[in-house]
Amino acid sequence: MFEKLEAYLEEISHFLSGREERMEILSEIKSHLLEKTEQEHGKVTEASIEKVIAAYGPARRVAEKYMDGHQIIAPAFRRYLFRYTSFLFAVHLLITAVAVIFTKSFLVFPFLFVPRMGVFEAIFYLPTAFLFDLGVVTLILYFITRSKKEIQLPWPKFAVDLDEVKRPRRLILSGLGFVAMLGLTGFALVLYIRYHAIFFVNLNFPEPRLFFTPEAGKWFSLGVIATLAVGTIALFVKLFASSPWVDAVQNGISLIIVGCLFRLPLDNAIAISLPGRFLHQIKFSLTFILFFISVVVAIDFVKSLVVIGRKGLAKQRQER
Amino acid sequence: MDPEISNFETEMNRGFLQILVLALLEKEMYGYSTVRTIQELGYEVEENTLYPLLRRLEKNGWIKSKWDIRKDRPRKFYSITDAGRALRAELLGFWKKQDKILKHLVEEKSHV
Repeated sequence: MFEKLEAYLEEISHFLSGREERMEILSEIKSHLLEKTEQEHGKVTEASIEKVIAAYGPARRVAEKYMDGHQIIAPAFRRYLFRYTSFLFAVHLLITAVAVIFTKSFLVFPFLFVPRMGVFEAIFYLPTAFLFDLGVVTLILYFITRSKKEIQLPWPKFAVDLDEVKRPRRLILSGLGFVAMLGLTGFALVLYIRYHAIFFVNLNFPEPRLFFTPEAGKWFSLGVIATLAVGTIALFVKLFASSPWVDAVQNGISLIIVGCLFRLPLDNAIAISLPGRFLHQIKFSLTFILFFISVVVAIDFVKSLVVIGRKGLAKQRQER
Repeated sequence: MDPEISNFETEMNRGFLQILVLALLEKEMYGYSTVRTIQELGYEVEENTLYPLLRRLEKNGWIKSKWDIRKDRPRKFYSITDAGRALRAELLGFWKKQDKILKHLVEEKSHV
């Protein structure tokens, strides 16, 4: 048997479902490729079959042609994915807030379980809750799509109108963003001036428990405040001049700050006393968060550089 | 070719290819011979598009297939069914109607 052909068929088979149907499709493709090779190249060899395979197309594209019309979620329901996920997450958020405020757990078997938790745990719990909600809605819409029945999904009329609300203009968005960031930076600054830190384990003001040790907390807090301040200044500048350079400079400075935070030693940086295993997990989470932020900022940084480059090229072409 | 035009062409080809295949399979044919015949008629068809189409037509009962394993290389032969002939007649009806409308519009424009 021909190795290239076997490898190609195996690659296609990974994308296809249903054993019998898969075998049938692969047999037919194999028959076609061998026949074509023989007709066009005289003899079937590894080299000749490779050329025919290349002309037939990449395995994924070939497999996708068999899936044409098979959708995970029908286009008509795609909007419902975001509608229902937002709704479910809003409910989840509300119950989480109640669970945090009243320190109680909630169970609506088998749909929802919100454990008793503090503010810190809630921050980590909510992204998971969002993914869970998205998964549940996706699964339901998938089964509805598969049923191929004419189903009218419920959604109130006023909410449909809300969907159609025009997006505010860029300037208004920048203005709102600037005000929000200014407030956030100011709040962080006030906290820092008062407590020399902005990370706390609880919110028992005026004597909250610090998350980091004083020295580590100082640098982590200053790093976050500086990043917020840079974001605020960038949004302020954008009110008057929209340029990709603003994003590039903002992201460049943010990357340097995140890079500096990365260099801070995490050993003996956590002020709360926890068993070693939990401490290790918290350190790992912190490193992961910093890494995630740096990746997002780096992507944005590269994107703004690409925009600058593209604009430069377009300008050069115009000048010619 | 402009990608937008290419997309339009793909959309138009999809319908046309179905009628073409239903017309060709009045005579029993296997995949590769169908591709060759279509190419000899002066029409370009991507081989990897034809087989999924044959599969869809067969699933809907418009064509039927059988494997011929008598020779050293097995071949899957396809032929049209009665339901396929009825569909072909309907599709040709649509196509003639569309053709008539377009011809009428083009002629009307050339007179203006």
